[in-house]
Amino acid sequence: MDRIIATAEALWRMMRRIAEILLLLHWFNLLSVEGTRYSLPGKPTLTRCRSPEKETFTCWWEPSFDGGLSTTYALYYCKENSDTVHECPDYHTAGVNSCFFNKNNTSIWVNYNITVVATNALGSTFSDPVEIDVVYIVMPHPPENVGVTVLEDKGWPFLRLSWEPPHKVDTRSGWITLIYELRVKLEEETEWEMHLAGQQKMFNIFSLRSGGTYLVQVRCKPDHGFWSEWSSTTSIKVPDYFQRERSVWVMIMVSSAFIFLIITWLIHINSHSLKHYILPPVPGPKIKGFDKQFMKDGKSEGFFCDLVSIHFPATTTPNDEDLLVEYLEVCVPEEQELKMEDKGEDGCPKSESSTSDCDSGRGSCDSQTLLIDKCFKRVAPGLDIECSQTGTGANEIQDSPDVSSGRVKTWPSVYSPLSQHPVDLMHSLDKSKQHCLSDTLFPSDSSCPYHSHPDHSTNDNPDSTYWKFCFNNKQRLLLRPQMETQWQPHAYSEVNISATVRSSDYVEAHNISDENTVVLHSVSSSHDDREGTGYKYQGEDYSHVQRVGSDNVLMLQRGLMKEPVDTGFCKNQQANRAAGTSDTSPITRNQKPTVCNETTLSVNGPAANGYVDTATMFIKPTQD
Amino acid sequence: MLCSVCTAPVCTNAQVGCHAVSLNNLFDRIIQHSAKMHRVSNDLHQQFELHVLPSRNQVGRGGHICHTSTIMTPNGKENAQRMAREGLTQVILQLLMAWTDPLMNLHHSSTNVSVDMSSMVGELRRGVQRLAEKMHTLGLLTDPDSSVVSPEALMTSHPVPWRLMNLYDILYCFRRDSNKVHNYLRILKCRIVPEHGC
Repeated sequence: MDRIIATAEALWRMMRRIAEILLLLHWFNLLSVEGTRYSLPGKPTLTRCRSPEKETFTCWWEPSFDGGLSTTYALYYCKENSDTVHECPDYHTAGVNSCFFNKNNTSIWVNYNITVVATNALGSTFSDPVEIDVVYIVMPHPPENVGVTVLEDKGWPFLRLSWEPPHKVDTRSGWITLIYELRVKLEEETEWEMHLAGQQKMFNIFSLRSGGTYLVQVRCKPDHGFWSEWSSTTSIKVPDYFQRERSVWVMIMVSSAFIFLIITWLIHINSHSLKHYILPPVPGPKIKGFDKQFMKDGKSEGFFCDLVSIHFPATTTPNDEDLLVEYLEVCVPEEQELKMEDKGEDGCPKSESSTSDCDSGRGSCDSQTLLIDKCFKRVAPGLDIECSQTGTGANEIQDSPDVSSGRVKTWPSVYSPLSQHPVDLMHSLDKSKQHCLSDTLFPSDSSCPYHSHPDHSTNDNPDSTYWKFCFNNKQRLLLRPQMETQWQPHAYSEVNISATVRSSDYVEAHNISDENTVVLHSVSSSHDDREGTGYKYQGEDYSHVQRVGSDNVLMLQRGLMKEPVDTGFCKNQQANRAAGTSDTSPITRNQKPTVCNETTLSVNGPAANGYVDTATMFIKPTQD
Repeated sequence: MLCSVCTAPVCTNAQVGCHAVSLNNLFDRIIQHSAKMHRVSNDLHQQFELHVLPSRNQVGRGGHICHTSTIMTPNGKENAQRMAREGLTQVILQLLMAWTDPLMNLHHSSTNVSVDMSSMVGELRRGVQRLAEKMHTLGLLTDPDSSVVSPEALMTSHPVPWRLMNLYDILYCFRRDSNKVHNYLRILKCRIVPEHGC
C-alpha cells in the first residue's frame, strides 16, 4: 500500500515538474518572442549638411530602426584640433532629424567632426563621423525676384530677365560671390534652354517666337559649392509682333502668284501673235510686178517681157539693186548643137570627145574655171561665130582655146563676185528642170524689144559688143556673152564687181546666118561707158543664159531676172546675192526683175552680170 | 567708406611713361589670380583624395594640423568685416608668405605634385604687396601699426614646422588657405572699391 502511495507521489511530482518545465518553456518562448523587438537602435547616418549663406549650417541624418524602444538621437560634434565635444544646439529649427548651427556656433575654415548617436533603453548606436568644412557645403537659396519683361530691339522682341540673389546671401560685402544660371523654354516644349549668366543679375534672350509663352527659371551657386534649387517658374507671353508683318508678306506672295498666273495665261493665249511680234517671220520674196497668178495663168508672154527689162550692161550705178547677174554657162556640143546637157555632174553631152571631165557647159563642174573654159572651147569650135569687131576675139575663140579659156576664165571671176558659188549654181541649174521660156515668152515677133530676132540679126546696137542670141524652140540662140572688146581675158580677170564695171564687153550678134552660125558684132564699150551713162543699150535687156537644158533649153537669166528653175537655184541665187558684194540692190520692176519666185535678186553692179558665151538658149516659161 | 580717389591712377616714382593701374583694376587682377590659385589647389586635393587616399586605410580626415594655424585669421563674416583693411591685408600677406617655401619644397620633392604652386603664391604675394603700397599711397591704409610687415617678422611665428606635414596635410591646408586669401581679398575689394561685382 505504501508502495502504491509512494509511487503515486513520485508520479505527481514528475508531472508537476513536467508542467513547470512546460510552463517555463512556454514562458520562455513567449519571452523570447518579445525580446527581438528590443534592441539597440540602428545606426543612423548623416545624410547631408548644408549652409545657405556660409554663416550657418544644418545637418540632417537618417535614423535606422529603433529596436522596438523609443530612441533618441543626439548629434555631437567637435571642432578641429579640439577635443571638446559639443552637442547640437538646435534640433528643431531645421525640422526633424536635423541639427541647426547658428552663427555663433559656426566657424568657417574649421573642420567639424559630427556624429549622430541613437539611443534607446538598450543602448546607443553611433553613426559614422562626418567631417565638414562649412566653406565647401554652401548651397544658397534660389534667386529671388525673378522678373521677365519683353523689350524691343529694332522691332524684334527679346526677353529681359532680372533677378536678385537670395536675401540671406551676403554678396555686397564680398563674403560670397554667386554665379547664376537660367533656363528658358516654351510652354509646350519639353527641353530647357540653359544659359550661364556669370555674376550678372540680368540676361537677354533673343530669337523669340512671337505669340509664345515662355517659362523662365534661375539658380545660383557660390564659387565652390552647390547649385541652388531652381527658382519658381516665371512665365511670360510674347506678344504677336510678326503677325501683321507675316500677313502682309503672305498677301504679297499670294497676289504676286496670282498675277503671275494671269500673265502666264495671257501669254499662252496670245502666244501665236507674240511669236509673230517677237520673231517676225521672214517675208517671202516679193518681186515687183511679179504676179504669181499671172504666171500661173500662162500668159507669160507679156509678163516676161515686162519682167525682162534689163538694161544691159547695167548703166545704173553699181549699187543698183536691180542688176542681178547670175552665172550662166552655156555649153555647146561638138555637133554645134548647143545644148546644156543636164547630166548631173556632167553637163556636157556625151558626144563630146573631150577626155576631160567633160565639164563644159555643165553647172556642176567642180572647177569653175574649167567650166566655162571647156564650154567655151566647145562652143567656140562649134560655132561659126563671126565677130566683126572683135575678129581677133572671135579668132581667139576659135583658134585659141587657151585664150578662150583665158577669156573664159575671166568669166568666173566676173561671175564670182556675184555668185560665189557658180559651181553650185550650175549644179542646181543642171539638176533642176530647165525652165525655158516658151516661145511665147520670147516671141520672135519680138514683143520683147530687146530680144534679137531669131531669124535675123539681132537688133542689137552695133555698139554693143555682146552677142545676143535668142534661142527658142526653133533653136534660136540667144546669147549674150559678155566679153571685153578684145576678148582679153585679163580684162575680166580682175574685175571687181563692186567697183566699176569694166568687165563687160559685149559681142553683139547681128544676125544668125543659120542655125548654128551667129554673126557676132563686138560692141565696143568702155568701162567708162559702163558706168552707167554710155551704154546705148540701156534700154535693152539681156538675158543671161544660165545653162542649156537637156531639151535644148537654155535657161535664160536676165541681169536681174532669174528664172527660178527650182528652189535650189533660187536659193543659190539668193545665196550668191547674199554672198555678193555690198552693192547688191533689190530688184525693181523697171529694171531687172527676176523671175525667180522665191527670191528677189539683186544685181551687184553692172559688172556683176554674168553672161554666157554663145550657147543655145531656150527660155522656158518660168515654173513655180 | 567709398573711395573716391581710388580710380585715379597714381604713378609712383614719377617714371616717364608710367602706366598707372587703377586700384580697381589691380584688385580685379589680384582676385583673378587668387581664384586661379585656389582652383589649382582644390583640384590637387581632389585628385589626391581620389587616387592616393583610398589606398591608405585612413578613416576620415581628422587631425589636420596646418602650420599656418597660428596666424590669426577671421573665421567668420563678422570677424572678417570687423577687421580693418590693414589687418586683412596683413593676414593675406602672412598667409602668402607662409606658403612660399612649403610649396617650393613640395614641387621639388614630391613626384605626385607637378604643378609649381609656389610661383603662383609668389606672384600673388608681390601683387598684394603692390596693392598695399598703392593703398598706402592713396591714404587708405592709415593705421601705422598694421603697416606692411616685413617678411622676416612673419616667418618666425610658425610653431609647427611645415616639414613635418605630410603631403596630404599640405594639400589640405593649402587648399584652405588659398580659399581664405581669396575671400579676404574679395572682402577687401568690396570694402574699398565696391563698384563692380559687389
